[in-house]
Amino acid sequence: MSTVTLKRMGVSVLLALSLTGGAAAHRLDEYLQATLIGVTRDTVEVEIQLTPGVAVLPVLMAVIDQDRDGRISSEEERAYVGRVAREVELRIDGVPAPLSLIESNFPTIESMREGSGTIRMKLRTERSGHELRFENRHLPQISAYLVNCLAAASDGLVVSQQKRDAVQTSIEFEYSFGADAVPGPRSAWIALAPFWPAAIGMLLVVRMAVLVYRERNTTRIAFKSSQVKSL
Amino acid sequence: MVKTTLLRSSKSTFLAAVLCCGLAPAQSSLSVTSKIVVSADGFLSSLDEGQRSKVLFEFNDAAQRARWSNLPTTMVPRAGLKMGDLTGPQRNAVMGLLAAALSQRGYEKVLAIVEGDEVLKAAGGGSRPMFGRDLFYISILGKPSVKDPWMLQFGGHHLALNITIVGRDGILTPSLTAAQPAKYTVDGKTVRPLGSENDKAFALINALDEGQRKQAILNYRVADLVLGPGQDGKTIQPEGIKCSAMNASQQAMLLDLVSEWAGIINEQTAAARMAEIKASLSQTWFAWSGPTTNGTPAYYRIQGPTVVIEYAPQPLGGDPTMHIHTIYRDPTNDYGKKAVGH
Repeated sequence: MSTVTLKRMGVSVLLALSLTGGAAAHRLDEYLQATLIGVTRDTVEVEIQLTPGVAVLPVLMAVIDQDRDGRISSEEERAYVGRVAREVELRIDGVPAPLSLIESNFPTIESMREGSGTIRMKLRTERSGHELRFENRHLPQISAYLVNCLAAASDGLVVSQQKRDAVQTSIEFEYSFGADAVPGPRSAWIALAPFWPAAIGMLLVVRMAVLVYRERNTTRIAFKSSQVKSL
Repeated sequence: MVKTTLLRSSKSTFLAAVLCCGLAPAQSSLSVTSKIVVSADGFLSSLDEGQRSKVLFEFNDAAQRARWSNLPTTMVPRAGLKMGDLTGPQRNAVMGLLAAALSQRGYEKVLAIVEGDEVLKAAGGGSRPMFGRDLFYISILGKPSVKDPWMLQFGGHHLALNITIVGRDGILTPSLTAAQPAKYTVDGKTVRPLGSENDKAFALINALDEGQRKQAILNYRVADLVLGPGQDGKTIQPEGIKCSAMNASQQAMLLDLVSEWAGIINEQTAAARMAEIKASLSQTWFAWSGPTTNGTPAYYRIQGPTVVIEYAPQPLGGDPTMHIHTIYRDPTNDYGKKAVGH
């Protein structure tokens, strides 16, 4: 569907709606695409919440409802979230990071018609790094965007140099995990790596001490046994 | 001013009844919590059995705890008792309970938001009302107690008060205040439910010097609340200017702005909350998006270790300055989770 067609559809629906009352309470002429990015030591999760305004729902339905039956089938849901996933891009340390769909959820058509329905989807990549860039290129003609990085203080995440474009279709930032972080299960072993030689040394000393103790005990018992026999 | 204006409104019999029933500050030998509990018990005893079963929920009812929104109750149904289904004395008891739990200015703010929704209803018409004071709901989670935790919820379109009470502590987060119209008149007097939130913020951004403003003002549009309804348990990376880069006067202005939310709850609880926010002021951020001339639509966010406040004009249904959404959160203690471990 061309940009011009989408714009014409949106404008005509908006004009129709402006003639009716009661539209003031809900999202109207924008498709709000709100993205929250969660960064951990090993993964990046991207949560996208898509809320169509009542005026742009016909435009969105033209994209989602492929058989034009006025409903959204499971196949159409899958096809749509697949399209969104293809139209966002995540780069970590400058390299594209493939995003897998973890879950998605569609509201009822009725709630979307009222402007309160939100499509939710969660994507993930099993990669992490130090520089992240995310861009959303889905339906820019009708959309308003929010994009933010989640804070995760318990994991010591430090984010700096956040940069966005003027309408928040993209964000980039640098990130690292502080020294006072609470490490995850895998990271804990890595964090303890400097202490491994000392720990192994300690274990060896303890093992040797046990062996010496046993040796002495064996000798003493043998000596006592010989004394008992001699009595 | 709001109180006076609303009292003069011959149309607002509801509000007159409300104001008669208890705007007096909670000053007595009883503790604030005791007064709230007495008011809650009084309200509950005014109900019949069927009503009580509708208004009461288990304290650990997670679904009810999170059942709030900025949207009209016809679009996002609430549970509890609807104001429109109550008798006059029962309504008065609800408002008496709110008056006991809130500060005077908090209570007046709530009245102004509710009355604004009535103005919206009158302007909208239609056979199935989406707006108006009859469509606000009250619910109580747990048993009102001076010792054990319980929760009071009051809200509807553009309002969600979630008050968790744990002994002497009262936690108002998360709560949502909003207004549409953001300015209206009653008997010739102008009412702006969130006027102070707007004016104090513009005063602050204009009190910053050029270098500070450069840090505070984001170079992108913020179209809506980031941590609004449905975003419980989330916190975002802070941006803008850190308060440690502000002078004492600017810091005082910021705290005064924060008090517009923290001061909704009764004075005793608000004082403790303000002290907590002040203690971590150096780690608190102020971010702005939009023009800096008062009267234009601008988004702002205040974010510190124990507070997140967002103020977002809405480009819905006309002039964004006439339609405001705000959210007030404590990422460490929403719904009193520090004390009750939700």
